Amino acid sequence: MLAVAFDWSFLSENAGGLLAGLGRTLWVSAIAIAGAFAIGLVLGAARAHRIPVVSQLASTYVEIIRNTPILVQIFFIFFGLPQLGIRLDAFTVAWLAVMVWGGAFNVENFRAGFEAVPFRYREAGYALGFGKFATFVNVTLPIGGRIALPPSINTYISVVKNTSLLYVISYQELTTTALNINALTLQTVETFTTLAAGYLLIVWTLSALIRLLESHLALPKDVR
Amino acid sequence: MTLPDWVEPIVHYMATEGLKGTLRIAVVALAGSAAIGIVLGTALTIRFRPTRMLIRFYIELWRGLPILVTIFIIFFALPSVSAQLEFDPFTAASIGLILWGSAQVAEATRGAVESIPREQHEAAAALGFGWVGRHRFVVLPQALRRLLPPLVSLLVNIIQNTTIAQVIGAAELLETGERSVERLTAPPPIGPGEVHAFEIYAGVMAVFFLMSFPLTRLAAYLERRLVV
Repeated sequence: MLAVAFDWSFLSENAGGLLAGLGRTLWVSAIAIAGAFAIGLVLGAARAHRIPVVSQLASTYVEIIRNTPILVQIFFIFFGLPQLGIRLDAFTVAWLAVMVWGGAFNVENFRAGFEAVPFRYREAGYALGFGKFATFVNVTLPIGGRIALPPSINTYISVVKNTSLLYVISYQELTTTALNINALTLQTVETFTTLAAGYLLIVWTLSALIRLLESHLALPKDVR
Repeated sequence: MTLPDWVEPIVHYMATEGLKGTLRIAVVALAGSAAIGIVLGTALTIRFRPTRMLIRFYIELWRGLPILVTIFIIFFALPSVSAQLEFDPFTAASIGLILWGSAQVAEATRGAVESIPREQHEAAAALGFGWVGRHRFVVLPQALRRLLPPLVSLLVNIIQNTTIAQVIGAAELLETGERSVERLTAPPPIGPGEVHAFEIYAGVMAVFFLMSFPLTRLAAYLERRLVV
């Protein structure tokens, strides 16, 4: 017998807890996205311009993070590092783990974006008397940054989704909150429908933003 | 130099039990994702609104949800809807990964099929092939070649995401690692009372790196070769 009836009072009774969880998910995501943006911009530029040492270190960082599961990274930081005396609280691990992960993917997004800028544009910058840094800021960044924007937002969407994994360190974000509510109320259908709706709301909003930005920021054809 | 006493039994346990579990989930998830994703992605190119909207919804739904949430829904919520929908951790995790993976493959397949020139469809139609034959014998064999790099990337992602099965207790690599850490931490007489979380989780990371890195390189190589 299928017993699927949604008890709407579930929402009003647990609104406080769920909104607090959603708030923590968004807060951790916001910190991680800001950090991942900075990491991607700086290290992506270093990779694209093949700046010695920094470029190799960035490449190592990217390969390690991209080729190991983020869940194991979270376990390593939260349960493994204390053995070496590095004890971080759940909130710090929360934003740090997803930021380090998002940053690695963003390095590749920005590197690809900057490398897609034709060399003749940089040459034009030098011809105008710009130095290397000024050419980057005035030529490579505005064009390459626009190319890198849609894939980087995709990375931010993954960052938001990955915050759900912080359940394993009992950080009280949306998923952990929902599972605690489920354990108390046993209203399984209501809990998981609400949980899924919460994530879809965030993710679908961000996807819509990508499509909007893609059409607004698309480079004119002759620039490519 | 000899390894400490605790290493050998734990490596043995994690390799025979954990790695086997990881590979089991990965193989099932890859096969399921590819089979369902290729069919859905090809069907997505049919110009018939209702099927397209239905498949679109499937893709956006399973790509939009965190895989952990999908697996929680399968493992915790479905049994309360119907007793027949109760799955063991391995099956629940595999289904969750297939839902997500097939959505990824469907999107990639749509792109690959649409990249095959219209003339190929027309030529096949002129030879008397129906829709199924046209795709089965002419379009898909060409599209599959373009699908190879994204499929290899998907395999890397699936291998890494098998660890999410740990959360519901499937004995894959991370779970066996966690159990080993707990066993070693337990005070005598149950365990030796030693903390080896750092070595064990670093080891788990290393194993995943060794599995993923060659595949990442392969995907990049296939993509480069395709462009030229």
